[in-house]
Amino acid sequence: MEPTLLKPAYLDYLRRHGHAPKTVFAFADAQGITEGEFYRTYASFAAIEREAWVEFGREARAQAAQEPAWQGYGAREKILAFYYTLLEILKNNRSFVLLTLKRSQQRKLAVVPKVLDHFEAEFKDFVEELLHEGRTTGEVASRPFLQDGYGRIFLRQLQFILLFFVRDESAGFERTDAAVEKAVTLSFDLVGRNTFDSALDFGRFLLQKHS
Amino acid sequence: MLRYALHDGRFSVLFFSYMSDQPQESLPTSKVARAARFAKTGLKVGANYVQHYAKKAVGADSPTADLHQANAEELYGTLSEMKGSVLKVAQMLAMEKNLLPPAYAKQFQQAQYQTPPLSGPLVVKAFRDAFGHSPSEVFEEFDPSARQAASIGQVHFARKMGKALAVKVQYPGVGASIKSDIAMVKPVALRIMGLKEETLRPYLAEVEARLIEETDYKLELSRGQAVAAKCGHLPHLQFPTYYPALSSARILTMDWLPGQHMQEFLAKNPPQEVRNQLGQALWDFYQYQLRELRQLHADPHPGNFLFSLTDGGTVGVLDFGCVKDVPPLEQQQFLALLDPATLADPARLEALLTEAGVLRPTDSPALRGMYLRTLTQSLELVGRPFRQDTFDLGDPAYLKSLYALGDDLMQDQDLRQQREPRGSAHFVYLNRTYVGLFSLLTELGAVVNTTYQPLTLTF
Repeated sequence: MEPTLLKPAYLDYLRRHGHAPKTVFAFADAQGITEGEFYRTYASFAAIEREAWVEFGREARAQAAQEPAWQGYGAREKILAFYYTLLEILKNNRSFVLLTLKRSQQRKLAVVPKVLDHFEAEFKDFVEELLHEGRTTGEVASRPFLQDGYGRIFLRQLQFILLFFVRDESAGFERTDAAVEKAVTLSFDLVGRNTFDSALDFGRFLLQKHS
Repeated sequence: MLRYALHDGRFSVLFFSYMSDQPQESLPTSKVARAARFAKTGLKVGANYVQHYAKKAVGADSPTADLHQANAEELYGTLSEMKGSVLKVAQMLAMEKNLLPPAYAKQFQQAQYQTPPLSGPLVVKAFRDAFGHSPSEVFEEFDPSARQAASIGQVHFARKMGKALAVKVQYPGVGASIKSDIAMVKPVALRIMGLKEETLRPYLAEVEARLIEETDYKLELSRGQAVAAKCGHLPHLQFPTYYPALSSARILTMDWLPGQHMQEFLAKNPPQEVRNQLGQALWDFYQYQLRELRQLHADPHPGNFLFSLTDGGTVGVLDFGCVKDVPPLEQQQFLALLDPATLADPARLEALLTEAGVLRPTDSPALRGMYLRTLTQSLELVGRPFRQDTFDLGDPAYLKSLYALGDDLMQDQDLRQQREPRGSAHFVYLNRTYVGLFSLLTELGAVVNTTYQPLTLTF
């Protein structure tokens, strides 16, 4: 069996049965390969799941960038487009999403499920790129030191949206769309030039006067 | 029921305030945030009460009117920050002026209804959901920035097969939030405004039903097509063609009608004949709907009409989101009350009002007399356009005397104690429609021929 077929076979099993195969041996055997051959591609089932998530992210970024309007988008719109495309992909894989996210929620191991590790790392790079772009267009305020934390804000936002999606029970997940729209508006209000910058500027001015 | 009609005069202002464009700076989003806003208002209103009673305790004069004023401002501040269906509900309550103390009513006149603009990617997504393609694939040309805000979405300009199109895209989650929004308004309305549960319930139910209908663009499309087919023969009216293949539950595609909104149109000082023709077209449109179709385009605020100089004045009719079916009984009662013969015959008026549930057999003779007196007075004024062949609605004196009457009645001690509304909830919309129409015509400065001739005779 081709290694590239292992992942679809595993995901199919997961979706159909609602749980992972009992052992790697059983799964490999059903696919007509030895357990050793399985480990040549993946170290565990969890590794397959992580890779599936990474691919959702890559696919979403690629698809969003294909949209004719993409070139005209600012940073805020680009991240919105990414979220909407991602949610579209997740909708088609909702069973898998629920299984992987809910499982880690039940165990309460961490707020951030491990399965999202690599997916989130790539998301962070993507956001850094957008923020950099936003700083050149003036959409994002330049705030030395503070701006290093922006990536985390957006990571929290991503987690919020995923969690919202998992819990959303509105038809067509319309509430998630609204949540995305509002969350992104808020985050860009925060990272854009706002009251905070004026206050900081004012504070600096007062300090200078004293010295 | 006439009480609605007569008080509504003052609310004409409300319809025009839809168009005002004070930007909203912040928008609390989640249900929790909304609820938090309400809780905050509740606290402040509570503080107002404490102040009121504290002043009273030390013997200072703190009239209840002041208290209402302070509460109303607090509440309005909250509602205008929330927008969406909450604000719409508040506006509708405001139209029902008898339900509210005057201070609230005044505050709500300033109310405006706007939704924040949808982002480009969300519009693209709405299209992908509906058609599996992005707007630039569906249309030959699509302007990603909205040309104007619709009541629960926004309107984009597009072109396909050489035709200019208006594409209305709805904000996601509007339908889902209506029920919870109304549930949130209810306790506030009950407690802060001092209303009774049973008084409010039928009105909120009516408002909710209409709001939910408004979110269904498929329904709006079929209604728009139906009204256009039935009213297409009326002179100087223009209806857009709707395109079902390019529409879904959340996207509505129709012709881009030529013309301008009221304010821009009037800024060019159109001649009196044009104004009259436009006014007549509107008047005939509503008369025809009420008398023949028993179905009303129940949202006659200026944003729903486009005016142009074509053929000496043509009105384009947009937005069939709020169409009200008028049951035969209510239609007959409404028409009978407007009939000039009714005013001349007190016995007939009394019988009609009893039938409509405005007067009740259990009313004391004094109360009955009071109602009859005020209703006769109001009917004389409200029905005036219907008792003359032509009526100059452009004469501000008429609308002014309507306002004055409303004010007088608000001052009336006996009437103020009767806060519970009487008559059918259907009159909420009949009322909203007619007040909207009168205001539109006054703004236009139109002289209209008000006698109704069935069109089979005229054509």
